Amino acid sequence: MKNLRNIFLILAGVLFLFSSCVKDLDTTPVDPDDVTAARVYETPEGYKQVLAKLYAGLAVSGQDGPAGQGDISGIDEGFGQYLRGYWYHQEFPTDEALIAWNDQTVKDFHWHTWGSSDVFIAAMYYRLYYQIVACNEFVKESTDEKLDEREISDADKTEIANFRAEARFLRALSYWHALDLFGSVPFVTEEDPLGSFMPEQITKKDLFNYIESELLEVQNLLVDARANEYGRADKGAAWMLLAKLYLNAEVYIGQEKYTDALTYIKKVIDAGYTLTENYEHLFLADNDHLDEVIFSINYDGFRTQTYGGTNFIIHSAVGGTMDPAEFGVGGGWGGLRTTKEFVYKFYPNAAKSLQVSPQPKNLKSYPVIEVPGAHQGWDPATAPQLASVNSDDVYEGYVWFPTTGNAFKFTQGGSWAINWGDTGADGTLEPEGTDIVAGDAGYYFITVDLVNMTYTLLKTEWGIIGSATANGWDSDQDMTYDAETGLWTATLELVAGEIKFRANDDWTLNYGDDGVDGILEMGGANIVIEASGNYIITMKLGTPDYTYSIARGSFDKRAMFHTDGQSLEINDVGLFTDGWAITKWKNINSDGTTGQNLDYPDTDFPMFRLADAYLMYAEAVLRGGTGGDQTTALGYINELRERAYGDESGNVENIDLQFILDERARELYWEAHRRTDLIRYDMLTTDKYIWEWKGNTKEGTATDSKYNLFPLPASDVNANTNLTQNPEYGS
Amino acid sequence: MVHLKSKFKVFLLILFGMVSLAGYSQKVTVTGKVTSTTDGEPLIGATVQLMSDLSKGTVTDINGIFTLETAMGESLKFSYVGYLSREIQLDATAIAGGQINIALEPNSELLDEVVIIGYGVQKKSDATGSVIAVDTKEFNKGAITSAADLITGKVAGVQITSNGGAPGEGSTIRIRGGSSMSASNDPLVVIDGIPISNDDIAGMRNPLNLVNPEDIESFTVLKDASATAIYGSRASNGVIIITTKKSKEGSPLTVNYKGSVTFSQLNKRIDVLGADEFRNLVAEKYPNQTGLLSDASTDWQNEIYENALGTDHNISVGGAFKILPYRVSVGYNNSNGILKTDNLERTTLALNLNPQFFDNHLKVNLNGKGMFTNNTFANRDAIGAALQYDPTRPIYEEGNRFGGYSYWKQNDSFNALPVEQGSANPVALLMQKEDISNVKRYVGSAQLDYKFHFLPELHANLNMAMDYTDAAGTVFIDSTAAFSYDALTGGGQNNRYEQTNKNELIDFYLNYNTNINKHRIDAMAGYSWQHFYRTDYAVNQNLTGSISDTSDNPTEYYILSFFGRANYVYNDKYLVTFTLRNDGTSRFSPDARWGLFPSVALGWNMKNESFLQDVDFLSQLKLRAGYGVTGQQAITDNDYPYLARYTYSQYDASYLLGNTFYYTLRPEAYDANIKWEETVTYNIALDYGFMKDRFYGSIDLYKRITNDMINFIPIPAGTNFSNYILTNVGNMENTGVEFSIFTRPVVTKNLLWELGLNATINKNEITKLTAIDDPDYLGVETGGISGGVGSNIQMQSVGHPVNSFFVFEQVYDQDGMPIAGLYVDRNGDGEITYSDRYHYKKPAPDFILGISSNLNYKNWTFSFSGRANFGNYVYDNVSSENGVYERLFRPEGPYLGNIVPAVYESNFTNPQYLSDFYVKNASFFRMDNMSLNYKFDNIVNNKIDINVSATVNNAFVISNYKGIDPEIENGIDNRIYLRPRIYVLGVNLVF
Repeated sequence: MKNLRNIFLILAGVLFLFSSCVKDLDTTPVDPDDVTAARVYETPEGYKQVLAKLYAGLAVSGQDGPAGQGDISGIDEGFGQYLRGYWYHQEFPTDEALIAWNDQTVKDFHWHTWGSSDVFIAAMYYRLYYQIVACNEFVKESTDEKLDEREISDADKTEIANFRAEARFLRALSYWHALDLFGSVPFVTEEDPLGSFMPEQITKKDLFNYIESELLEVQNLLVDARANEYGRADKGAAWMLLAKLYLNAEVYIGQEKYTDALTYIKKVIDAGYTLTENYEHLFLADNDHLDEVIFSINYDGFRTQTYGGTNFIIHSAVGGTMDPAEFGVGGGWGGLRTTKEFVYKFYPNAAKSLQVSPQPKNLKSYPVIEVPGAHQGWDPATAPQLASVNSDDVYEGYVWFPTTGNAFKFTQGGSWAINWGDTGADGTLEPEGTDIVAGDAGYYFITVDLVNMTYTLLKTEWGIIGSATANGWDSDQDMTYDAETGLWTATLELVAGEIKFRANDDWTLNYGDDGVDGILEMGGANIVIEASGNYIITMKLGTPDYTYSIARGSFDKRAMFHTDGQSLEINDVGLFTDGWAITKWKNINSDGTTGQNLDYPDTDFPMFRLADAYLMYAEAVLRGGTGGDQTTALGYINELRERAYGDESGNVENIDLQFILDERARELYWEAHRRTDLIRYDMLTTDKYIWEWKGNTKEGTATDSKYNLFPLPASDVNANTNLTQNPEYGS
Repeated sequence: MVHLKSKFKVFLLILFGMVSLAGYSQKVTVTGKVTSTTDGEPLIGATVQLMSDLSKGTVTDINGIFTLETAMGESLKFSYVGYLSREIQLDATAIAGGQINIALEPNSELLDEVVIIGYGVQKKSDATGSVIAVDTKEFNKGAITSAADLITGKVAGVQITSNGGAPGEGSTIRIRGGSSMSASNDPLVVIDGIPISNDDIAGMRNPLNLVNPEDIESFTVLKDASATAIYGSRASNGVIIITTKKSKEGSPLTVNYKGSVTFSQLNKRIDVLGADEFRNLVAEKYPNQTGLLSDASTDWQNEIYENALGTDHNISVGGAFKILPYRVSVGYNNSNGILKTDNLERTTLALNLNPQFFDNHLKVNLNGKGMFTNNTFANRDAIGAALQYDPTRPIYEEGNRFGGYSYWKQNDSFNALPVEQGSANPVALLMQKEDISNVKRYVGSAQLDYKFHFLPELHANLNMAMDYTDAAGTVFIDSTAAFSYDALTGGGQNNRYEQTNKNELIDFYLNYNTNINKHRIDAMAGYSWQHFYRTDYAVNQNLTGSISDTSDNPTEYYILSFFGRANYVYNDKYLVTFTLRNDGTSRFSPDARWGLFPSVALGWNMKNESFLQDVDFLSQLKLRAGYGVTGQQAITDNDYPYLARYTYSQYDASYLLGNTFYYTLRPEAYDANIKWEETVTYNIALDYGFMKDRFYGSIDLYKRITNDMINFIPIPAGTNFSNYILTNVGNMENTGVEFSIFTRPVVTKNLLWELGLNATINKNEITKLTAIDDPDYLGVETGGISGGVGSNIQMQSVGHPVNSFFVFEQVYDQDGMPIAGLYVDRNGDGEITYSDRYHYKKPAPDFILGISSNLNYKNWTFSFSGRANFGNYVYDNVSSENGVYERLFRPEGPYLGNIVPAVYESNFTNPQYLSDFYVKNASFFRMDNMSLNYKFDNIVNNKIDINVSATVNNAFVISNYKGIDPEIENGIDNRIYLRPRIYVLGVNLVF
């Protein structure tokens, strides 16, 4: 019995040990970066950080930039980023963009052959619901009762009430995307639990009503238009979204709501947004805080990194002969181009109507001497140079003498150690000779022959001559010299034909371009002008090699194409060089400097901007909405066109619906509007509008109308038995 | 198998015995017969030695007969494996009749041979589960730096695949095919009673490197639930118990030195175009781009690989100091990899003390292990770059700003900026990146076993252990490296990381063992507490520090367990084993965290039945049947899957509101009800032995059904903070047969041949994947491939094996060439869409064969071991990515890239990643090692044993697969670190 007692004592001791250890199983995260839900909402800061996530959900793919802790799974993190997914869906099925890559099913977007197992479609869909569920959670956690429970101060409560309205706006935004892309979808709000249940499917009509009612409510709760912190939604954003909902109401629910659309577009327009002066600046690295932008998704080269968003748009658009540095990136991904049908929106009459001067290629450097003198302060180190093109000690070049009787000398090696003058002004050079004096002020062609120790001076005035000019080959069109830039320029109306540069109304000195390499040769080949239009022609002489450029003068500057090495025709969708490239988006600041990081652009994505509102106004009026008028509409359109052309030359007098659609393409291309627009015009799948490779043929063909909606992902139809697939997509 | 080992020792003695007996007077030639007392049958290969000089003697032949020339008065010793030895003095009585007939008695102690099982040992004859032990003698030979390599191919149902050819590289171990999809499939590894964490350790190639293979005494593999269920929730994938070497009380001082030199050689290279062929092909396919070609001819694989040397030294000292048996060992390994700059340097220390106190009532076992590793990791990007970088480029381009290495330029100028997309110079990748780590790991344990004074049948066992790892590493990339160039922020990288792992264990159990008449009872009950803690710290920054990203992620979990086992044997014939384990884990909610894992097994020692006792050719016959449930909670990278949590964003995923960048807070998806994954195993087996175990082995049939798989699967949209969640959905089955046989086909005086064969058939099938059965559900994509970003090549679907390839069926023209982009319209809808893909083959083999052989002839031993896999398929990602013409010229640089000659078999211009054309049969036979060993006689009066060996590891592979290596764990062949052929010269001294 004693033995048994001993055993019992041991067991009792051991049991005591056990019971204290069982508590060890109640762990909470030891990582301070990993907090339980209860702790997050203890402070207003926590609320704001969750709100920041709701916005960041549109911008990045997860908690680690550019990739690492993805929000959604089952797809490459870059592909699964919200904006990139939305861009794919809105641009790839249309005439605006094609991609060369072989990523999974990506080309099915172009062909209109996607199916319910498509991974990109699933990614977009789950992205939408990621946003929606996260917003639901925030809405649930920010009720007055919860704030009281957590003893949040009154001042903070007001702030958090704003957050809550923004969360509801963001949820409405994602539900709008869901309605537009997928139609009838699962519906969950803050009333629903989290965990294993199957959400009900909501009809398009009910979803429309829900989005409408939410926006009508939050428009009163949100901060006034243009009054919120940068990056956050305000009344303007809500109005814009309401207007978009109403403008497309016929597609969504078969009812016209153009008058309602006008009501809210006018609120937007009246809120005081202004067009950015330079269209180009809307898509640059420093495009934050622009008065035109109503709501944007924001990026930063260091703090907000992703493989989606504008990073994708900018990198993917660069390839072929494009210089990545011009786009503020280290290298292009060689993916995105456009169809010729889109190009025709700008250049309807010619396959190749955009004049671009060749980029100077193979610029060489030659032995040089300097021309220091009174014109520049007698400093050989900074003096204009003459070059010996054949390295034969015969030098030439152009120097601007601003005053009459300008004195100068020649030096070699950038110092006075070796120098020549013309003692006796006899046209021969002497080492250490006296200063040479030119005649009248002007632009002098100077040659120096150090073998024979001679030099020549010829004052030049330059002009352009040729069949493309108003006087044909008969007489010159004068150019003007700008001493500041050192360039000769002329702005001319040209017709298709040829031109050359010549000096002093005489053929003695004339330049053309052999081999179209952008470098001028004395007596070189005529330069071809392919289409009529207004041109700015520039010539840079100075030190050889001499170069020139020909740019469109007054033209639609929204047409931002790269054509060098690109063919207009697309024979192979997989080839970057088939199709014109687009240079609209850049990681370059408006002052020409590069964004902070070559790998991750700073460029924000303007989701809603005033120009869109102007176009919506015009369309709503044309579609019969009341409360607006055609004159105002035309005024808005011409405001956009004046900005585009830089003058009134592009203004129009009449507009119709087709014009608006085309103008939307010109103004808003590559901003993720196109698919919705084409569907509103019933042109996405029908034969009313055909573009290259639509329907998977080179010429393009109509496709099944089912492609006006994307299918619900098969994975969700499988996981949620309440769901019915969109028509004709099978299960 | 332990008696094979003893047999070998005897054999060595015999070899010594081949020495002339000349010089004795009174010579006499003795003949005789050695038999067994149990059945009177002759004992073949029994040893007969002279007592005066044990190195002299002979063995019995096939009839048990021996002949020996000796002197009168000499004593002879007769011994045989499994029998008690006997000594006889040669006198007139003994040799009456001219012949000595000796009957040896079986050694009952040896019959009580034990096997190691969880929390204790068991008589082998009482075992009811599938337990296979492999010890020193049977280990693979040669350059073994990783413990798992010791038993590759040795055990039926155990598949060990090395992850590549780097020194010290880890292995993937699968026992009976693995039981999980999203949770771990790695077996539980228990080293000297400590279940170790299988988590990867930063800066370390393989967690199993903890143990120096030279310190390992035995591996025990527990395969079926009856054996593993005692480990409950971590046992679903089988258990491997590693026991290290110890000394015994009274052991003489023994010093053992073992050293080797290894020479690793690349034995196959990936076939790529040579410079001239490349030039011609570029000229043919892209005639406008020949200007991009250079003038050099560089074989990039030549430039990145080299023959590599390695050395390995081990010294152990064992013995007993009074009552204190001790063993101390030091191991040092320094191996270069065949990829230039790759190096592993490892020092291991092991100390074992196992004294006994209080009249042997208290056994103490103190164990200390230390491992110190310095790794230099070669930049493996060079492997892919060597395939793709232009072979017409030179290695160097003297004086350029990028360290003088050639690179792809944005324009023609000498120091032009690099093309971001262009493949990098392979040599620059190796030389301009330095990736080193330093890992220190310490394991200490104290095991106390107390046999109660008042009740000796009762033992109490307490085991306390601590496993501590401290890892640190740095990754440095030169500022001049073109492959890391960044015009704005400056190139280069300067990353640091640290990791600390701390695992603690306390086990306590009571064991009661008694024999009452024909009843034998062995019962055990215990408790275990284990705590796993790790923290990772990392700083990633560029060289100027202008970009810096710091992360710090501590995490921990606990496992508590109560367990018990009862083993009952009646009359040495009928066996029953029950085990029960109750495990609790901190990873699940209080409602779900406790899991109960029972098992029951029955055994029938048929040989002990009267009707078989007299069947002489049958030496053992045992039928076993078992059933059990095991669990799984090894979830990768989340110790809190049931908790509602928020995670802060990193620096580079913050968001600007107003003028402030906010670190965002993200709600994490979770399943509040997540629970154990359970695997039910049925096992039925027959252990057999014939002709005194000259042939013996087992046949096992098993079925393993995993239910409520912890699975990472899509959930209904709108119900959680992600589209996928880790939850319990899905079932899977593994069904298989294992067969093993060990035999000694030849046993003669000079020649002994031992042969082991094992074979496994395993069939795997996913039987459920969704909460509600849906025949239309396609499944979950997996198996990311290189090339098409985000493309997956495998699909988990109901009715198919795990990781089945999911591809288009290629259409071929009349010449047998595949037609690009043309696939069979399998669903007949007139269009080729993604729904035309189908399940085609899988990476796991249907049939695995292992063979090992030992051949002794006099002082020579030749051994080999090899493996064959049949029915395993591989997706040739190297060819699908690099075997297309469009990779020759990439306009986005522009740049040129090399391709593989496989392009001629397809003539594809664009990649056709999802074609079944690239799914290839990769059945193979691999000769893992071949070894020749010579034992020297008579060195320093037999005081020193010297063995010299020459070994070839990875000697050759026979396969129809044309890629670089058919043996690829996940079935996606994509730039594996080539497994070299390794020549090893070794020497072993014992004195």
